[in-house]
Amino acid sequence: MPTITIFKDDLESLLTGEDGIDRGIPMAQLEEWLMLVKGELKGHNPETGELRIELQDSNRPDLWCCEGIARQIRIKQQGRLKPYAFFAETPTSPHHLIVKPGMEQVRPYVAACTAKGYRVTEKGLAQLIQTQEKIADIFGRKRKTVSIGIYQLRKITFPVTYELVKPDEVRFTPLGMETAMTLSEILMVHPKGLEYGPILAVQSLLPILRDAKAQPLSFPPIINSREIGEVRVGDDELFVEVTGTDLRMVILSLNIFAANLADRGATIEPVEVRYPTSTVLGTRVKTPQDFGKPVTIPMKAIEQALGQELGEALVQQALEAYGYDVSAEKGSVKAKLPPYRHDLMHTMDVVEDVAMSRGYAEFTPVMPAQFTVGGLSAIEQLSDRSRELMVGLGFQEIISNILGSPDQYCRAMRLEGTEWGRTVEVDNVMSLSFSCLRQWMLPSLLRIEAASSRAFYPHRLFEAGDVAIPDGTHELGSRTETMIGALIAHATTHFSEIHSCLDVLCYYLGKDYSLEPVQHPSFLEGRAGRILVSGKPVGVIGEVHPEVLERWQISMPVVAFDLNLSQLMGLG
Amino acid sequence: MDTSALIDSLHPLEIKVLLALATRPSGTALGSEQLADAAELEASQLSMAIEWLLAKSLIAVQTETVTPIVSLTKVGEEYYQTTSPIERVLAAARDATGTGKRLTIPDLQSQDGLDPSDVSKAVGRLKKEGVLLIIQGGCIETTGRPSPTADALRALLGQLHESSKELDGFTGTHRQVIEDYAVKRGNAKEPFRVDERVARSFVLSQDGVSAASQLLTQGVTEEVSQLSPDLLKDGSWRQTRLRKYTISLRPPRIGTGKKHPYREFLDTVKTKLVSMGFQEMRGALVETEFWDMDALFMPQFHPARDIHDVYFVKEPSHTTAVGEPFLSRVAKVHENGAETGSTGWGYSFDVHRAKRLVLRSQGTAVSARRLAASPQIPGKYFSIARCFRYDQVDATHATDFFQVEGIVLGEDINFRTLLGLLNLFAREVAQAKEVKFLPAYFPFTEPSVEMHVRHPRLGWMELGGAGLFRSEVTLPLGVTVPVIAWGLGLDRMAMVALGIHDIRELFTDNLELIRTTRGLF
Repeated sequence: MPTITIFKDDLESLLTGEDGIDRGIPMAQLEEWLMLVKGELKGHNPETGELRIELQDSNRPDLWCCEGIARQIRIKQQGRLKPYAFFAETPTSPHHLIVKPGMEQVRPYVAACTAKGYRVTEKGLAQLIQTQEKIADIFGRKRKTVSIGIYQLRKITFPVTYELVKPDEVRFTPLGMETAMTLSEILMVHPKGLEYGPILAVQSLLPILRDAKAQPLSFPPIINSREIGEVRVGDDELFVEVTGTDLRMVILSLNIFAANLADRGATIEPVEVRYPTSTVLGTRVKTPQDFGKPVTIPMKAIEQALGQELGEALVQQALEAYGYDVSAEKGSVKAKLPPYRHDLMHTMDVVEDVAMSRGYAEFTPVMPAQFTVGGLSAIEQLSDRSRELMVGLGFQEIISNILGSPDQYCRAMRLEGTEWGRTVEVDNVMSLSFSCLRQWMLPSLLRIEAASSRAFYPHRLFEAGDVAIPDGTHELGSRTETMIGALIAHATTHFSEIHSCLDVLCYYLGKDYSLEPVQHPSFLEGRAGRILVSGKPVGVIGEVHPEVLERWQISMPVVAFDLNLSQLMGLG
Repeated sequence: MDTSALIDSLHPLEIKVLLALATRPSGTALGSEQLADAAELEASQLSMAIEWLLAKSLIAVQTETVTPIVSLTKVGEEYYQTTSPIERVLAAARDATGTGKRLTIPDLQSQDGLDPSDVSKAVGRLKKEGVLLIIQGGCIETTGRPSPTADALRALLGQLHESSKELDGFTGTHRQVIEDYAVKRGNAKEPFRVDERVARSFVLSQDGVSAASQLLTQGVTEEVSQLSPDLLKDGSWRQTRLRKYTISLRPPRIGTGKKHPYREFLDTVKTKLVSMGFQEMRGALVETEFWDMDALFMPQFHPARDIHDVYFVKEPSHTTAVGEPFLSRVAKVHENGAETGSTGWGYSFDVHRAKRLVLRSQGTAVSARRLAASPQIPGKYFSIARCFRYDQVDATHATDFFQVEGIVLGEDINFRTLLGLLNLFAREVAQAKEVKFLPAYFPFTEPSVEMHVRHPRLGWMELGGAGLFRSEVTLPLGVTVPVIAWGLGLDRMAMVALGIHDIRELFTDNLELIRTTRGLF
């Protein structure tokens, strides 16, 4: 989830409402406050005052910025959210943004507002850009559902239109370029065009925002015009717009920006967006807009979930101190999220906010009292017994990755193209070393043997663990089974030495087994056997083929067995 | 010193050496060779006995002389068999001068078997001796004078070919040539080697004298080192003297059968969980996206489901079927919340995506399957599941790791019993008395908690995460009671217990390391 960089003095001035006064909040205090936003301090540079904070909640984009963190802490300190006037007022003659027909096929929704009276500082600009990027990238799924543009308001003549044009119809100089380009040129040449162009891949007409004088503002969601859409330090009149595919997500993103700029001292003026056909919020949509609806939650649901009686008054107090608008009724509370949040999916989401607002430390832990019987699965019990026996036989247990390479599991074992060589393979391979699941244990044991020629001999190794065996009849395309593999390596080892070990293991597990000769490419012919229990094959045993040893660069004779405990379980 | 105890512990070899010295006039010092003859011992046996006796202070070093010895190296033997570079250069130059051929240094350096640096050295030496001249155009001519170096070298090769000799036996040019052509640090390719031979002579110490005289008076009985079945059968052990051992020596190493230290750690966790009333669950390494993520209410657009976070299976890419009624129920919950009281995520659920096969990315998948398979109520379950993440491997990230996680179901489950359970884990698994609960976020729980504990040795550390499963998870799977979902992050604890700093070492291929690691659990 997002990690952001903010500055301690910036956070402090947003908390106190006073500029540039370093209140010197102790770090311990800060870390405690960060619990309110599910934030974890990842780094702190005491010299620059830089803080790196990871915000865990992927449904709270309002918290992915300094303003949002400060706001949540401030509300807790002040007991309630001071309402933002611009959500309530309807300006007498708002600016208009006209949406032309056809947008619903491409990128249907837009929201916008103006912000005056906050002079952009260097740090403020960095925060503005960071918030824009985090929201568009994570909440807006890499600009697919939401993207944001910020402009110099003074250069814009209203009304602004949001419409479709032919790819070569309009030219403007995009940010980061020196010359004017058509939209299709931007898609082919500009780094942002290459990165985000696929969002518009199937479109024959492309979206553009232009002002009343037909000056392009931007080519959403790709890039702004350098002329109007480059905000600089010192600017004090801004125009903010959000475009996207989900009306509520678009308005919510604008609400967050409006609240952030207001917190920094700007006066927000809403813009009226006029759609050609009706949306779920009508044809004329004033933005920012508080579209949230209150929900009524029975006290019983809250108290049952928390395991504690709190009463309406305490719950109301807790929720208000977390930013909700609340009215208590008998036996229930009616709660509405603040306008910069839209993450209430279920009653339980409110319950967690009650707990966080009060602080988790306010809840006394209670032991779950109901009796249950503990135990291990049958296969784990069999595996544990086998492991005990192998230890008794003088074997050192090892533990290995299950995700490995076809080189280890098949090629080095001479199993390519054989039934034994089939594995579950990864589709999106990052490194060949981690590209398929092991289908048996011997390669895991040879991995250690190959790396340990300096460790004193004899080597007696075993591992019990899971493997994946491809099986077309299984719904998952493979079976996960538990196997045990064992290996002996020293200068004079031979078949009967490992056979004796298998014999002891099977005897104490109570499994009557027999061996039948098998031609297995990993083992020497005439010195390899299939292990049968009740006539069913459950493993292999033998002297490892010298060519296999050569491929692993092992210069010591090796004998081994592999026994499938899952198969063995119901037999013999 | 208790001489008789000392004598009992003497090895037969030691006794032979002591007696050899004691039978000479008092104070006689013997060199190694004389001692070997007198005690009738092989050189290797003698040197063992001498080291032991010196360690016990029964003998002392009387004199120690260091003699430099010169011998031929492998290169020297080669020169002896064939010829040395300086001789070859000289022969070639004489040949050229005789026939009037042009010969330059590069010509020599390109000759077979001649090293360019050897050529430079040889030419330099011969020029200095006045044997060679470099005339115009870099041509080499001989002056007709003999080369003392080449002559001495040939003579020395002959003398040293059979046996090494003391360096001090050589003087003048021979001595000089040996020194100039001896192996030195940084130049191993020379014909001579000078080694230091240390010759020591030994005398009995005061303790040695008394030990030896006691040995002489009591006489040396036949000593036996191994108590054998024969000695026991006929009772002859009564007349046999069994040598006493020096038991303070370190024993030889043996290979043992033993559990892997990390598995041992996981076994203790497993035992703790069973003792707290948890039933073990098992799951498959390959899972559908449905059970791995959809059933856990992670929307299909969730960033953690990206191609860069999860390993997808190549063949078959999709499962044949996801069990009903779960698939349709979960799909509806994602879309609009269905009857769970939730709004859902409000997107159109892709059933094909739900069937995509992945390598299990979280142990919670095992819990989800358990919830759908009529779990016991009340019930407690755990799994220690191998999971896979699409991560670059480094000291803190492995692609392949264990997750310890589980569920608790019951009518009495709520936020406070969740905290109570976590307290229990802190105490039982981490032996921690102090616990801190922090708000956390997981897509499938609400409320969610992160637990930090003060470990007796590690200090404050994150022990795990937990929460109450969202109704969007439990109801579609047919569970109507509240359910705790919990997970413990034990790798850091294991790493400290095993004294390692790199997560890759948990699965190390270094047998020596596995054999010698012991865990402090």
